[in-house]
Amino acid sequence: MEIDLAPEPPSEGVADLTLGSQVRCRKYQVQTLLSLFGQRQHMTPGALFVYGHTATGKSLVVQTLLSYHKLPHILINCVECSSPRVLFEHILNNIPQNPDADIPDCDDDDEEEYIQCDDMTSFVRQLTNIVSEKPFGEQTLYIVLDKAERLRDSHIFMLPALLRLQELTGLNICTILISEIVWEKFRFGTGFNEPYCLHFPDYSRHELMEIMCLDSPSTCDKELYSMYINIVLSVFHMVCRDLRELRHLAKLNFPYFIEPVLSGEADATQTRKLWRNIEPHLKKALKSVYLREVSSQQWEKMQQAELENPDLEQTLTPSHRCQVELPYYSKFLLIAAYLASYNPMKYDRRFFAKNAGKVSKRSKLVKKNERASNHLLGPKVFPIDRLMAIFYSIVEGKVVPSAHIYVQISSLVSLHLLSQVKGEDRIGMPKYKCLITLDFIRSIARTVQFDVMRYLYDFL
Amino acid sequence: RASSRTPQIPSRSGPKATPGNDLEEARARLHVSAVPDSLPCREKEFSDIFGFVESKILDGTGGCMYISGVPGTGKTATVKEVVNILQSERDEGNLADFTFIEVNGMRLTEPRQAYVEILKALTGQKATAEHASNLLNKMFTSPGPRSVPVVLLVDELDLLWTRKQDVMYNIFDWPTKEKAKLIVLAVANTMDLPERMMMKRVASRLGLTRMTFQPYTFRQLEEIVASRMKGLRVFDGDAIQLAARKVAAVSGDARRALDICRRSTEIAELRSEEENIDSPMVTMGDINKAVEEMFCSPKIVAIKNLSVQEQMFLKAIVAEYQRAGIEEAEFKKLYDQHLTLCRFEGVHAPTMTELAAMCYRLGSIRLLLIEAGRLDLCMRVRLNVSQDDVMYALREDEGNRS
Repeated sequence: MEIDLAPEPPSEGVADLTLGSQVRCRKYQVQTLLSLFGQRQHMTPGALFVYGHTATGKSLVVQTLLSYHKLPHILINCVECSSPRVLFEHILNNIPQNPDADIPDCDDDDEEEYIQCDDMTSFVRQLTNIVSEKPFGEQTLYIVLDKAERLRDSHIFMLPALLRLQELTGLNICTILISEIVWEKFRFGTGFNEPYCLHFPDYSRHELMEIMCLDSPSTCDKELYSMYINIVLSVFHMVCRDLRELRHLAKLNFPYFIEPVLSGEADATQTRKLWRNIEPHLKKALKSVYLREVSSQQWEKMQQAELENPDLEQTLTPSHRCQVELPYYSKFLLIAAYLASYNPMKYDRRFFAKNAGKVSKRSKLVKKNERASNHLLGPKVFPIDRLMAIFYSIVEGKVVPSAHIYVQISSLVSLHLLSQVKGEDRIGMPKYKCLITLDFIRSIARTVQFDVMRYLYDFL
Repeated sequence: RASSRTPQIPSRSGPKATPGNDLEEARARLHVSAVPDSLPCREKEFSDIFGFVESKILDGTGGCMYISGVPGTGKTATVKEVVNILQSERDEGNLADFTFIEVNGMRLTEPRQAYVEILKALTGQKATAEHASNLLNKMFTSPGPRSVPVVLLVDELDLLWTRKQDVMYNIFDWPTKEKAKLIVLAVANTMDLPERMMMKRVASRLGLTRMTFQPYTFRQLEEIVASRMKGLRVFDGDAIQLAARKVAAVSGDARRALDICRRSTEIAELRSEEENIDSPMVTMGDINKAVEEMFCSPKIVAIKNLSVQEQMFLKAIVAEYQRAGIEEAEFKKLYDQHLTLCRFEGVHAPTMTELAAMCYRLGSIRLLLIEAGRLDLCMRVRLNVSQDDVMYALREDEGNRS
């Protein structure tokens, strides 16, 4: 790849591939983009498609590149564009005024009229009018559409027309689509102007290190921080390559890591000690904060408390998150629903009837093969009669089949613990499904002293 | 500046000069828009319609007539001809005064706009659809003492269909009113339209005066072309007959026959320029060529001109169909088949991305019927040509190459 094709931010002879050191480890991509952009007045390919995983620097590279070289551009996030109208008006009202403005200036909008536009034809017409009047005239105008996969759900003409914008307007316009999914999944209908596809690969571990070391606090030694990052990566790299997540975790846990150094317990060179101090803490973070079971704020608070009072054993993993307070009969109804969902109907008699039939040897054999299949396949649908039958056989004492019981069933449905499959009323024989997990039902059964495992066919 | 990459029709400024030689003259006469004064082979239909309309005008009553026939059998032309003759009769003073209105369902943006059109033609008034229908109702139920009969031609009747069928109902209901002097000529393509689409009360108001235009036989087509070519010696004796027979075998559409003849004159002109003949004649060969151009499916030509990998993909599809016995396959199965084929042929196998691009290309030129790309591997693919056509096109291709 030749570098002399780079656009003329005229004073600099050779393009700065780190874009003023804002972008790291994306040399090849920056180079490719620069050579595709060419000189300011050159015709750029009509459409570019930039794709890669989450947090691989797609938006960062494109945006920094455009604003660093002061190229006229418009940034749009397609998630914000609920209708084509929003997209059109955003583009039309944000066309940069002069070539040197790196951000479209929105302050002038009060003086000027807000341009309205609600269909593709008038969008193309107005865009042609506006752009050909602007002082940057012949320069390429870049329209960057982030999260472009949303465009597929927009109008059917949207994606083909945006990809062909250069041809439709007859102007030097380049549409850049940024997305996390591959181009094949964008295709539909008949015919696209195929864009130039540019892939952003994942950062390697080494590159992640390099980038994460950038945000070392000024108070901390660089060496020490890079060691810390190394530890963080050794714990989290197996499960997470997302740069944003890793940076967040590194920032969150850094005070805990640095604490022994600050308090003088350990030296900055005592790697082993620091490692032994932080590692269990990070393992705990992996279980709780990475899954967002505790919020970052809570985590920081807990960390603070733990640092102040190390002996205090905090219960960091909240096992109670799946606990709901339910009325007594509702609990039994829910247990009955769970049993009905996960037990085959032909074994109901064996579990719930007084004089269960003999279990033959053969059926035991068959059972072996079927074992655990019900919990893998998910809940089955059951009619309300079966639910009530199981309910009456497991509940203690005599329960009157009053309106209260049926109301409780429908309130379980509205709490999304059950789901109604069909039939709106009692007369139409409604069918239900149980939507809760085994852990949940076990904790509920424990509160009413009911051994639910004894009744589950899969666990016999 | 940006260049257009989509192919475009070259623009032409100004009309073409008047015909210079016989072939150009023939082309001008064969053009579909050059409707002749007399329509051959439709004398009986003409006299029927003429009699119907004339008697109604003379009696001062109203009525409906339903005219059906496949496209290109001269329905609209015949009705227009009838109205022309009637109008000239009226101008000579042999017939009572009447007004002629034409409504074409295809030209209306919405069925109810028919009211607006009719009102505008009758009185020059502009009104909304609802208001117009009220005015028309009033006009036809209690007409003034000096009202003239109205002849209403409703072309492309099937497009006036609405869920409540109120437009059709009103148009057929007005003539049945006691004092309304409205004669409706409804034209549509299908014979059983009243039974199929209309409610009973609409169909009964349409009445039983129906007329069907049969497709032209080859003799009639021959006569039509010959009548247009009167006085010109351009066609070989049997050339017209061949064209007529070919068209009559497929559809019996006069427009199609005229088009074939026109195209064959162009072919003849090109041929004569190459061979330097002064007064070219259109031969059977030219007609044959034109027929081939117009009736042949372009799909086989398209398949023959595909790239090697794309042809191989089509072969893979056929192989997969034959293996599974179903005329539909998922993309992942086709990919496996394609890889196997590539290995057999010793060709570099494409990646999944490349093959998906090929599949999409074939889908967008409609050789395949495919689903949206977001289903990727589970996308179901069907052939839009018969398997035999694919095999035929590809076998021939191999023969040429070797």
